[in-house]
Amino acid sequence: MAFKLNAEELKKYQPNRYPFLMIDSVTEVEPGKYAKGYKNLSNNEWYFPVHFPGGPNMPGALQLEAMAQMLTVALTTIDGLEGKVTHALKHTVRFRKEVLPGEQLIIEATISSWKRGICKGKAVGMTDGEVACEAEMMITIPEILEDYLPKK
Amino acid sequence: MTNLEKYDSVFIDVLEIEQSDLTDSLEYQSIDTWDSVAHMALIAELEDLFDISLEMDDVIDFGSYKTGIKTLEKYDVKF
Repeated sequence: MAFKLNAEELKKYQPNRYPFLMIDSVTEVEPGKYAKGYKNLSNNEWYFPVHFPGGPNMPGALQLEAMAQMLTVALTTIDGLEGKVTHALKHTVRFRKEVLPGEQLIIEATISSWKRGICKGKAVGMTDGEVACEAEMMITIPEILEDYLPKK
Repeated sequence: MTNLEKYDSVFIDVLEIEQSDLTDSLEYQSIDTWDSVAHMALIAELEDLFDISLEMDDVIDFGSYKTGIKTLEKYDVKF
């Protein structure tokens, strides 16, 4: 059953904090299936003054991080996974347009598989109704993955 | 294609190795490409290929090319 998470509630499922929490709100999440939400980009974002002076835009690495964080919420809202730390394993990302101050980056992340500590999924980020970035991602919950590995 | 040939092809594809690398000394973490992620990919590919689902203990025991054959035999895969 889908539900939503406000800026405070999502912290139960997403361990990143300022200045690295890259999602503001989860408008809809169905545990183990998908999460949708957004990041509002004000002029006060810490990276705009330096990326770049005179031409501020959201770094691609942080767009990817935002998509990965949304995928994490889709995963860690599964019963028993709340608050678990995830690590990135492999991401393939495509950037299609700049993400600028004043815009809202709307993110939809979908899990395609979750098995033995490894989650595969994809996400798309949109601004002004157009795709800004998209990624295929593989993340892991290390403490679960470890349980399935051969012992040396 | 025999089951052994199928088994070998999964190792070759997932671990990015050659047929000549498939020896009794090929073990988890004995080569760079057989890391934790590759281990899960290996198991997943074998499960799909042979239409089986390995128990947790068997995933853990699947520590080498050689022992993997014994593991799959438990699931009625004939070599």
